[in-house]
Amino acid sequence: MSHYIIETQNLSHEFRRGERVPDGLDLRVPSGSVYGFLGPNGAGKTTTIRLLLGLLRTDGGKIEIFGKEFSKNRISILQQVGALIEQPSLYGHLTGRENLEILRKTYGCDRKRIDQVLEMVSLTSAQRKKAKNYSFGMKQRLAIGLALLNDPALLILDEPTNGLDPGGIIETRELIRDLNAQHGKTIIVSSHLLSEVEKMATHAGIIHKGRLLFQGSLEQLHLLKSKQSAIEIEVSNTKHAADLLGAGFRIKNINGSRIGLEFESKEQVAQMNRILVNGGVEVYQMAVTQNDLENLFIQITSE
Amino acid sequence: MAAKFLSNTSGEFLKTKRTAAFWLTLLGAAFVPIINFIKCVARPDVFVPRYKANVWNIFINENWEVASAFLLVVYIILVTGLVIQIEYRNNTWKQVYASPRTYADIFFSKLIVMLVMILLCFILFNVFIILSGLAINLARPNYNFYSTPIPLMKMLLLSGRMFIAISGIIGIQYFLSLRFRNFIVPMAMGLGLLIAGFIIRQWEHIDYYPYMYGILAYFKNPGLPQDTLQKVLIHSVLWFGLFLGLGFGYSVWRRERG
Repeated sequence: MSHYIIETQNLSHEFRRGERVPDGLDLRVPSGSVYGFLGPNGAGKTTTIRLLLGLLRTDGGKIEIFGKEFSKNRISILQQVGALIEQPSLYGHLTGRENLEILRKTYGCDRKRIDQVLEMVSLTSAQRKKAKNYSFGMKQRLAIGLALLNDPALLILDEPTNGLDPGGIIETRELIRDLNAQHGKTIIVSSHLLSEVEKMATHAGIIHKGRLLFQGSLEQLHLLKSKQSAIEIEVSNTKHAADLLGAGFRIKNINGSRIGLEFESKEQVAQMNRILVNGGVEVYQMAVTQNDLENLFIQITSE
Repeated sequence: MAAKFLSNTSGEFLKTKRTAAFWLTLLGAAFVPIINFIKCVARPDVFVPRYKANVWNIFINENWEVASAFLLVVYIILVTGLVIQIEYRNNTWKQVYASPRTYADIFFSKLIVMLVMILLCFILFNVFIILSGLAINLARPNYNFYSTPIPLMKMLLLSGRMFIAISGIIGIQYFLSLRFRNFIVPMAMGLGLLIAGFIIRQWEHIDYYPYMYGILAYFKNPGLPQDTLQKVLIHSVLWFGLFLGLGFGYSVWRRERG
């Protein structure tokens, strides 16, 4: 078996004629990883996840999960997969326990497993309450509980922290880390927040407009991120500043009174400041440009 | 495989707990017998003489006349819609299809839930007819419900015939409820086709029109060929099979599931 738990080749889905999302996706999720699946809203994260679970028909490409082709082994693969797709998918008129009981009948697992899962997602005391009366955070936790019921080897969580309060976000993050570290589960977590993924993932894939822009370990992502970062300096004379700094640093752009340079380390910032001050250029402001996902996308795509 | 299907089907039954589908079945079955109870208790002067000849037969017929023409079809339209809407309303189709169940398992376990609900409605309808007759006699002793044997075999055969006659609509409404996310669409289509059926009732090929099969299977149909009842029952089963095929094909080949 390949060491990738999920491997797609040229995966595509056509929403409308000529509009492919994802478009030729080669996803590789290593076994035992927490794979952060990053992308802005509308990039194709949920569509990809739905393709992986057989909820959408593929219009090209191949999906292999656990080394087996999905289309030919749907049932045996889904037996080992737990999923939370977009909003929690719950029967509001049934209690939390009844929601779990329905899925338990499908998986054929022991009734005790329901108690274990309720405890894992801290819903033991609310198990007899109807799901429609749960808070959003409780609904999200119950949905995660449903995904964990069959003790899956692979967990697919689509924006699991979406809509949660800070406490809920931390709890979910800890649960994900624990499931990976203590129970050896491979987990895909989709998110549109780079900072969120950085806190729990070991690997990441960045999708934009249906195409994978980056895929690799978190270390590789950090390297890419630092390469894409820039320092912006507001000075009294940009021409003079460019002459002084141009010898030792790579200038990216000059915009009005601001000069943009490639950022590598904090020490470089101090060095630049020294050169400018010694050279008689007044420095008004120095700032490392924010490296949020949006900027990263823009920078990667503009290359 | 069979054990898994049964287990999943019991899960499907659990989904109907506390839904309107159960209450609709109970109240739908009780509605006509209750109205007939009130009618008979309020006007014994009219109905005691009318029922004199064959009290149970006449009473059973008066219950079925209303049910077969309109209420039964409306009930099927509503109950098929309600069972499928449990998934649409809760946005749970995606969870159903992302679980390790075959498409046949999902499709047929839901069908069984609907069929059992409808069967339960038939059983309850018969039970309420009997209870209603007995209660009328309790309130107005001059009726002779107590002294006449209950024609259980007639009730069973009539119910069986009516169940086969409406099976075609079950298949069609199941397909429509699956196909359209909006509850109103299959309901409006079903009611529209029922009303259209009343307009074209005298059509010589009415035995091809499933929304009239309730009426055609219950009433004697002057002006229509003698074998109309037989044709209606056969055509109903064919419609049922055809639309089950379409519904299953749709659930297997649809591009998007949930």
